[in-house]
Amino acid sequence: MPKTKFPAVVSTFVVCYAFWVLLTWTFTVQELAAGAVVSLAVALFSARFFIHERAFWLFNPVKLGSALLFWLILFPVEMIKANVDVAKRCFGGCKNVNPGIVKVPVDLKSDYGQAALANAITLTPGTITMDVAEEDGQTYYYIHWIDVTKPSGQEAGDAIKGTLEKGLRRVWE
Amino acid sequence: MLLRIVIDLLIAVGLIFALAGTKGVLKMPDTFCRMQASTCISTLGILGVCLGGLLYAIFVMHSPATAVKVALIGALVLFTNPIGSHAIAKGAYQAGIRPEKPMETDDYGRDFDE
Repeated sequence: MPKTKFPAVVSTFVVCYAFWVLLTWTFTVQELAAGAVVSLAVALFSARFFIHERAFWLFNPVKLGSALLFWLILFPVEMIKANVDVAKRCFGGCKNVNPGIVKVPVDLKSDYGQAALANAITLTPGTITMDVAEEDGQTYYYIHWIDVTKPSGQEAGDAIKGTLEKGLRRVWE
Repeated sequence: MLLRIVIDLLIAVGLIFALAGTKGVLKMPDTFCRMQASTCISTLGILGVCLGGLLYAIFVMHSPATAVKVALIGALVLFTNPIGSHAIAKGAYQAGIRPEKPMETDDYGRDFDE
């Protein structure tokens, strides 16, 4: 079991306390003090499961800015395009689908980056990340794709996750 | 008045995408395509309705506590949904569920099925 580190406790505490304040939304001293005690207890017990890499990356304004850019602009645009596409297929009688599972190389190194990319791919309708494999130091995703138009490998990767991966690389690397 | 129209439009767009997703869930040819259609409901369907509700809570109800909770509901759905989808798709494939019509390419089966 990994040891609990102090920076990890601090950032877990900040996340828990932010959630507490958002959920209660009453700014009396009693509520805020109780929230601080509970958040500190939770942070002490769960920090080692919650933080595995650098603890303070989100407190860096450049990283935070590119994270906001990704999740508020780049990703919603991709998501709306994919949503319209899948909705057209659904209203068009559900016959013009061409499903398949493609294997796609991924260049992100950090664990969090890979997890965020896999979740972003799954959240765009039309693609679901099914599994992650590592061969010779290169990470691959197996992605179920509703309309296979490109052969497996780099070309399918660019079509599915080109924009998403570029945005996420600025956040994590 | 204009605000009310914007709110109603957002909720209507959300409902249209939820309808599209529901039709896809019922009519798509195989399990995995049905899951793809269900993603439509949980992304733009939820997001449209939540955005409409958020504007309503801020500008009509004047209640920041409700607005924050609506925003949190949207964010939590967006965080948890892909994990469930991924687990269900992988579990279905490994339990031996295959589409009737063979897939265009099936790299997952090629690498792990032998």
